[in-house]
Amino acid sequence: MKNKYLFPVALFLLAIALPYIVPEFWVHVLTEILIMGLFAASFNMVFGYMGQLTFGHAAYYGVGAYTTGLLMVKANVPLLLCLPLSMLSAGLCAAVLGYFCVKLRGIYFAILTMAFGQLVYYIIFQWYSFTGGDNGLQGIVPPAFLGKAANPYYFFTLIVVAIGMIALWIISESPFGYTMRAIRDNAERTEFIGINVQRYMHLNFIIAAMFAGLAGALWGPFNRSVAPDLCNWQHSGMPVFMTVMGGPFNFLGPLIGSAIYTMLMAFVTSFTEYWPMVSGIIIILVVLLLPGGLLGLLEDKFPFLRRKDDSEKGAEE
Amino acid sequence: MARAMDNICENILKIDRLKKSFGKYSVLTDVSYSLRKGEIAAIIGPNGAGKSTFFNLITGYHHVDGGTVHFLGREITNWPRHRIARAGISRAFQVSNIYARLTTFENVRQAILAQEKRTLDIFTPAHRLAEKNTLELIDLTGLMPNRKHLAGILSQGDKKKLELALALAGKPELLLLDEPTAGMSSEETQETMELVKRLNREIGLSILFTEHDISVIFGYAHKLSVLYQGMVIAEGTPEEVRKNEEAQQCYLGEEV
Repeated sequence: MKNKYLFPVALFLLAIALPYIVPEFWVHVLTEILIMGLFAASFNMVFGYMGQLTFGHAAYYGVGAYTTGLLMVKANVPLLLCLPLSMLSAGLCAAVLGYFCVKLRGIYFAILTMAFGQLVYYIIFQWYSFTGGDNGLQGIVPPAFLGKAANPYYFFTLIVVAIGMIALWIISESPFGYTMRAIRDNAERTEFIGINVQRYMHLNFIIAAMFAGLAGALWGPFNRSVAPDLCNWQHSGMPVFMTVMGGPFNFLGPLIGSAIYTMLMAFVTSFTEYWPMVSGIIIILVVLLLPGGLLGLLEDKFPFLRRKDDSEKGAEE
Repeated sequence: MARAMDNICENILKIDRLKKSFGKYSVLTDVSYSLRKGEIAAIIGPNGAGKSTFFNLITGYHHVDGGTVHFLGREITNWPRHRIARAGISRAFQVSNIYARLTTFENVRQAILAQEKRTLDIFTPAHRLAEKNTLELIDLTGLMPNRKHLAGILSQGDKKKLELALALAGKPELLLLDEPTAGMSSEETQETMELVKRLNREIGLSILFTEHDISVIFGYAHKLSVLYQGMVIAEGTPEEVRKNEEAQQCYLGEEV
């Protein structure tokens, strides 16, 4: 039982220690890893747990980022209040758009989520008077208590992301989380045990969007600005890459994937501009050689890492 | 008044002039059927007679083209599937329809959590819930040795048992079993049908099943209907149907 918390706790301790060891540039990279990790983990609630590929998840990330950006720049709302409001706005947006998406499955679900994602992108891109259009929003400054150095904002991000990840973990292990696995495995049977599958998918879509919104909210103050590209379909592809790299069948897979992807990107772009080509090759290798992602490979090689199934405990009594 | 109520409730399932066609191909032309509370009834018919379609219409899997379905005096025609399940009709599928990537235990627990309306709970860890009921049902259906295995790797017979367990988890009043013993050994068949019989006797569960195995039908069904070319052509006790000439020609004749 205790064993399964070893890895996440070790990761958390490492995350606390790292900023004191690595140079400031890498603290920025670590902050990005955390933000994108939460984004990818929220994406995996739909992909890994519910079994549907959403290719428009950046829309909710972007709505969260713009909510915080606009509130901070135009209304001086404190960041701590912006975070829940960003979750709320992303959730509301998903409540409307997701209503239509969950009527579809598979490739049609992916295409509709992507289309809605692009819709959000173009609205933000065109609405100059409100969102700043393609100029984005500048001057999103973290609150004074976080100072100007890299470390304080990193630790703030670490706390928020940790809380977000714990919340997602609790949801994924709840009866609702298991209902998502059931829908992924066999949506038809799930209807015949008396569950309104569409409604549950809709709820999960909203939950996933809220945490994407939370991740997005952390981005603006980190980057001091937000741009419409945050909602674009390329940005929706990032959690897909990260999750596939890290392993969609592990709760921490997306976070690990974010670490690999973001670090590689920071490393590779320091000496060549051909990052997209490098990332493309990596994706091809991962998909061909590691269908369970990195964590899937590690679990195969080292069975003790495998999460002991909760049901076994129940069944042994 | 009380008598009138009794009359309505006596028939747990009442089907009137049910019609279904797929494109030009008419599967059920005109099926009327009723099932009394506490009855075990079987439906037989050659392949393609419309048995599975009949179940699919009752449980909302397919859209009903014409006619009505009443369950416990309420019309449930074309209700969504989950609502029909909630109303008290569970079904076990002919080809086992389970959660291949969850363990046997998790499969059954999922169905029990659904019945207990706990599936919207996002805070409590699932492993703390419904453990007792899940183990009881696993024991009842003879799946105890397989409880930790992934359902996808179970034998055909065990998958059918799990299929039955998922159906029973819904605490139904009416259980529809589509060839419940297909793929089972003769001992497993016996065990399963004895369980069905016991549930019928002890909690008054009404059961409607389709079956190819004549010995199962004659051993367990109180009532037998023959479905042929989309219509019920004979109905009665298994003995009566056996003597019915038309039914013999259409179906039983093949076997004798």
